Amino acid sequence: MELTVRNMSAGYNRNEILHGISLEIKSGEKVFVGGANGSGKTTLLRVLSGIIPHTGDVLIGGRDVSSMKRKDVAKLIALMPQTSDMYFPYSVRETVLLGTYASSGNSFFGSDSEAVQYADKCMEDCGISELKERHLDELSGGQLQRVLLARTFAQKSPFLFLDEPGNNLDIKYRAELCDKLTDWASGKTGDSDNTLVAVFHDLEQAKRCCTRAVMLKEGRIVFDGGISEALTPEMLLKVYDFDIGTYSKI
Amino acid sequence: MTKKGTGLKIVISAVLCLFILVLAIRQGSVYITLKDLFGIIGGHITGKGTPGEIEPMMDSIFWTIRMPRAIMAFLVGGALSISGACMQALLQNPLASSYTLGVSSGASLGAALVLILEISVPVLAGFMLPFAGFVFGLLTVIAALVLASAVDRSVSNTTVVLIGMILSLFVNGMMNLLSTLNSDHSKQLVLWMMGSFSARGWKHCAILFPVCIIGFVFLFAMSRKMDIMSFGDLQAQAMGVDAKKTKIIAILICSLLTGVSVAFTGVIGFVDLAAPHIVRKIFGPSHKLVIPMSFIYGGAFMALCDLISRTLLSPREIPVGAVTALLGAPFFAYVFFASRRKR
Repeated sequence: MELTVRNMSAGYNRNEILHGISLEIKSGEKVFVGGANGSGKTTLLRVLSGIIPHTGDVLIGGRDVSSMKRKDVAKLIALMPQTSDMYFPYSVRETVLLGTYASSGNSFFGSDSEAVQYADKCMEDCGISELKERHLDELSGGQLQRVLLARTFAQKSPFLFLDEPGNNLDIKYRAELCDKLTDWASGKTGDSDNTLVAVFHDLEQAKRCCTRAVMLKEGRIVFDGGISEALTPEMLLKVYDFDIGTYSKI
Repeated sequence: MTKKGTGLKIVISAVLCLFILVLAIRQGSVYITLKDLFGIIGGHITGKGTPGEIEPMMDSIFWTIRMPRAIMAFLVGGALSISGACMQALLQNPLASSYTLGVSSGASLGAALVLILEISVPVLAGFMLPFAGFVFGLLTVIAALVLASAVDRSVSNTTVVLIGMILSLFVNGMMNLLSTLNSDHSKQLVLWMMGSFSARGWKHCAILFPVCIIGFVFLFAMSRKMDIMSFGDLQAQAMGVDAKKTKIIAILICSLLTGVSVAFTGVIGFVDLAAPHIVRKIFGPSHKLVIPMSFIYGGAFMALCDLISRTLLSPREIPVGAVTALLGAPFFAYVFFASRRKR
């Protein structure tokens, strides 16, 4: 299944953030989306998930994402947003189970047994099994991030869009996150043809998790190619206006 | 919470609420034994008539006055509470309710227009005031939603709450102006706005009951969506819930529940705010439990408040809205803040 973007522009209210984006992501790819703050990375993930209206085409498996039902989109694309609202203190288990809403056959009374088993496996994979009866307001930032990651995995969608998934994670869990994402994308966790599109600010993590980079600057793609070519001093200067040579001298 | 623990809490709550409902029917200037009460109820349900040893006056007091009044109070309390629970989750605002979106101010304006202009439609007979209140309440909410959609395509929670409050204040202003210019009707209007279950009979229950059933079934069916929506619109969309559509449908159902309740009883505040929060403290945040338990708790609380309103200063009646606030506010503050201190 492919994700095709053709001449897409989008933004909030009358403020256009992304301008004329064209992109093709094939099944099984691991794509890093990079760029400075405000370059449009988060907006791109939201448009690809069909959450923000756009002009141009955004097609998943040949279907226009904005004309699909939300539940059908969620079966194909799981988006983990950068920030999370938490209004009521659900338990960790309840929260992860909510991730099965789209994939579960019985979404009215709760998750079916297959979805419950899968959610348990996601909690185990994200190292939060022992926290499952705890409430969200009792967790640290890193623990909460792992809960949200498990909930995103529980959606069981072949496309995984992660917006800064390493936020709040300590060095051990950041390393484990990369292993987990790599295993997931390569089908080692039991699924196949999984596609990862992730925004990272930690470029080392991006390099470990992804093979392709799409670099944005002021809402336009300025680079699309291999991750190694994207993380050169010249490219960092071009994309982030950041001179790594000067920085390392300091 | 274990399933067994939850089950026990549900049983205790149901028994307690039933006890309050029976108490609300029995207590008052005339007292009845449980045997006679069940005799009256059984006689009417089976169609055999009241047992001979019970005086016809007792039958009249309990079957035609007390029972419909207590049941009406229970239904109104339940309807207001589930709509409060739903709005708090959807709008992610602990103070949200259908009142926030202008139901009560719209309904009050409708009632004021009927009283002042002395409008009467023969078909509606004695239902003109509640009908106007309901229609105006619903129109105000629809206007709030249309305006919110016009200024913000995503119909964000902040926009909905702000537009609702602006519209409420505006409509309240119109209502106050009307009331001041027509001082003859002021007292009647003020009384209506303070809320009362006085003179509410089976014919009122017959309208409210199906509305409650329909509203309850719809909101209960949406309970998982409400769980997801309480994580915010963005996460809800990401998990497969159409946030805008869900919000509009739920707001209209809540407005129907609140509009019909307000129309029959006047404006009774607080229960829609307090009951869902108290239920969440006891049963947790899952709406599969919050919706039915809010109905039971809100209903029982309202029946109890109505009992107090008619017996405390008997033969005078205190407006039930004043009782809900006076009794509910300190209890709610205790439940809410005491459990916070424990953390």
